[in-house]
Amino acid sequence: MTVVPAFLSGLVAARRARRRSGLVPAVVIGLYLLVAVAGPLLISYDPVRTPLEDRLLSPGAVTSSGGTAPLGTDALGRDVFAQVVYGARTSVLIGLTTVTVCLLVGVAIGCVAGYYRGWVDSVLTRLVDILQAFPGILLAIVIAGVFTPSLWVIILALSVTGWISFARVARSVVLSVRERYWVDAARLLGVRPRRLLGRHIMPFTVGPLVAMATLEFALVVLAEAGLSFLGIGLPASSVSWGQTVANGKEYLNSAWWISAAPGLALSVLVISVGLLGDTLTARYGRARSR
Amino acid sequence: MSITPCLRAAGLLTIALALSACSIGSGGGAGRNAAGQAIVASGTFVIDNIDPGSAQGGSAGKELAGQQIYGRLAKPDASGKLVPDLAEAWKPSADARSWDFTLRGGLKFSDGSPLTAEDVVASFDRLIQINGPYAANYKGVTAKAGSDTTVTFTSPAPDPALPGKLTTLFVLPSGVPADAASYFAKPVASGPFMVESFKPSAELKMVPNPNYWGGAPTVKSLTIRSIPDVAAKLAALRTGEVDVVWGVPDDQIPALRSDASLKVEAVPSNGNFTMWFNSGTPALKEAKVRRALWQAVDFGTIIKQLYPVTGQPADSPLAPTVFGYAPQTPIAYDPGAAKKALEEAGYPFDKPLRLQFGQAQFKPFLQAVVSSWAKIGVRADLLQKEQAVFIEDLLAMKWDVNFQLLGTAGYDAATNLGRLYPCAAKRTGYCNPDLDELLAKAGSATDQDERKGLYAQASRIIWDDAVGMFPMTSKVSYVWNENVSGFTLDALGYPDFSKATGSGN
Repeated sequence: MTVVPAFLSGLVAARRARRRSGLVPAVVIGLYLLVAVAGPLLISYDPVRTPLEDRLLSPGAVTSSGGTAPLGTDALGRDVFAQVVYGARTSVLIGLTTVTVCLLVGVAIGCVAGYYRGWVDSVLTRLVDILQAFPGILLAIVIAGVFTPSLWVIILALSVTGWISFARVARSVVLSVRERYWVDAARLLGVRPRRLLGRHIMPFTVGPLVAMATLEFALVVLAEAGLSFLGIGLPASSVSWGQTVANGKEYLNSAWWISAAPGLALSVLVISVGLLGDTLTARYGRARSR
Repeated sequence: MSITPCLRAAGLLTIALALSACSIGSGGGAGRNAAGQAIVASGTFVIDNIDPGSAQGGSAGKELAGQQIYGRLAKPDASGKLVPDLAEAWKPSADARSWDFTLRGGLKFSDGSPLTAEDVVASFDRLIQINGPYAANYKGVTAKAGSDTTVTFTSPAPDPALPGKLTTLFVLPSGVPADAASYFAKPVASGPFMVESFKPSAELKMVPNPNYWGGAPTVKSLTIRSIPDVAAKLAALRTGEVDVVWGVPDDQIPALRSDASLKVEAVPSNGNFTMWFNSGTPALKEAKVRRALWQAVDFGTIIKQLYPVTGQPADSPLAPTVFGYAPQTPIAYDPGAAKKALEEAGYPFDKPLRLQFGQAQFKPFLQAVVSSWAKIGVRADLLQKEQAVFIEDLLAMKWDVNFQLLGTAGYDAATNLGRLYPCAAKRTGYCNPDLDELLAKAGSATDQDERKGLYAQASRIIWDDAVGMFPMTSKVSYVWNENVSGFTLDALGYPDFSKATGSGN
């Protein structure tokens, strides 16, 4: 008799644990967002200012102006902690903007293809196939390399292939939902296609797309850091984790903190977003839609 | 399936980490190349082109490659004194309008054909015809072969610096057309090495030239590899993939000195950090503005902090080892006065200056310069350009401030001041008839003391009018594996490998 309640409570505990598993990454991501929004208001940092007398100070050292550099300084005497904070804003900004652009473009194309089917679908699907033949990061490197570096060029470069997965998910959801009875019923009642799509079909794409967007966000943040690391990302006047990592790579033996601090910040963010994305996918995602 | 994107993210992350991690070298496990007596070198200059006459591909890389592959009439030794190369002797006419060069007897190209005075003349004519950067050294000069072994160069005005200038004339066989990209995939050599394979901007592999007059080098091969990334370059040195590197950043030198298998030495170069202002830019037209911009940069601190080993504040457009060097009054750091002068001159503070440079190693220095300017409100965009684009834009004057580490070929002011600063050279946008006259006179004076005086006056105009900023004379730091020896530690970063040897370990 005692076995059954124990078994049941075990089940309940396991379910609770599963629910909570999304909590830690969500808190971590929340912290990043907080730092991205509030950090630059509290800490001032100018990437152009290079106090050379403070160069290569180790974490916790006191700078010539009397302040403390909690994560040390780089080869030009700039505070690494401030770079991590400002880099968080850049990463979050680029991540959110790119994902939004991808989401809008991808959902629009996916829904149109899935709803109208026929030749519209064929053309759009082929377009997606062609774009998918290029490795995304390679295409981004080409685009970012051709234009003068700026925030918008990076967003464009990362969006060019980013919308594809959204389009595919949206299309597959729409394809199946449009065959359901309530859609038929609405159609028989004379609901116009645009309203039909917006009111009766698209709400069903939200779950998988949100899960998808989370994972895409991690990829975008990582890709931006990669481009900046290679020197074809953001202009030198802005702060990016990738740039800071690149600035420190000559000093890995002597001043490891320059690369380590932004590298760690990047890793923790990407892993947290990935974990949260997996939790969301398990809850709302549709395995067959991908 | 649901986990794939996360894995993808993790994969990308690994790549990003690996990209930075791969540059940590951990001491030599891999076999040292010198054991096979093949030397791999990696310097500062990217070799884009090995056609010595061509205007394309930057001069420094071409010079480095050229000195290995082609012979010259004369070459400078470590102290800057001219020593015989293909020519064994030379002498001027009484008025120094013409110079007779006598070639060594029995010279041969790498393909076995004889190297005669006609080939020297043809190489010279080709250089003039292509009109590359060095052609400006030879205004109106003509070459004529007297016999198989004598060449006479005749100049419209006396030109006592001609032998020094001719150190940039590399000898090719006659008959090489001006536009011969395919020929230079495997050119016939007249120097110690001949080309085995050449990948522009990446790698130049050479083998000894059996017909070299000084005897074929003893190494199996010489490879000059371009590794733009300093960390990767030093990692390659530590693992033994590369045997000799030069142009190592000062911050890396203490760590390299502590490695027992490496040797480190910094030699004074004849190169100055040269930051021309484009006087053709409306904002930079006035000397007052250019001087103020110079005054605004705290070069003393920058040099002390960034170049403690290889830097030394410059006091002339020329390095101290160059003939014609004359010290000038240093320009003191005074941001207050600079700001005031700029405001008085109506300098447009809202318009950023385009500061262009080619090599990544100079980025921190230039960032510090930009930082100094920012303190008084002058904005500058730092533009790092790929070497070929950099040269193209440099010649097309698509810049406001240009950074170069400028050496002086032949250790004579004629190839630097005389070539770059006359109005006709169109290199800096600066034009001053007085300076033109001085340089022309200095170029043709036969008395060495008189030339020295004239170049001192010319230096003074260039310095005081701030045609450019001349902040620093640099040393070249060489680091090499102890089992390689016999190459020269060249002051310009063009080491001579003809006598190099590598011993097994």
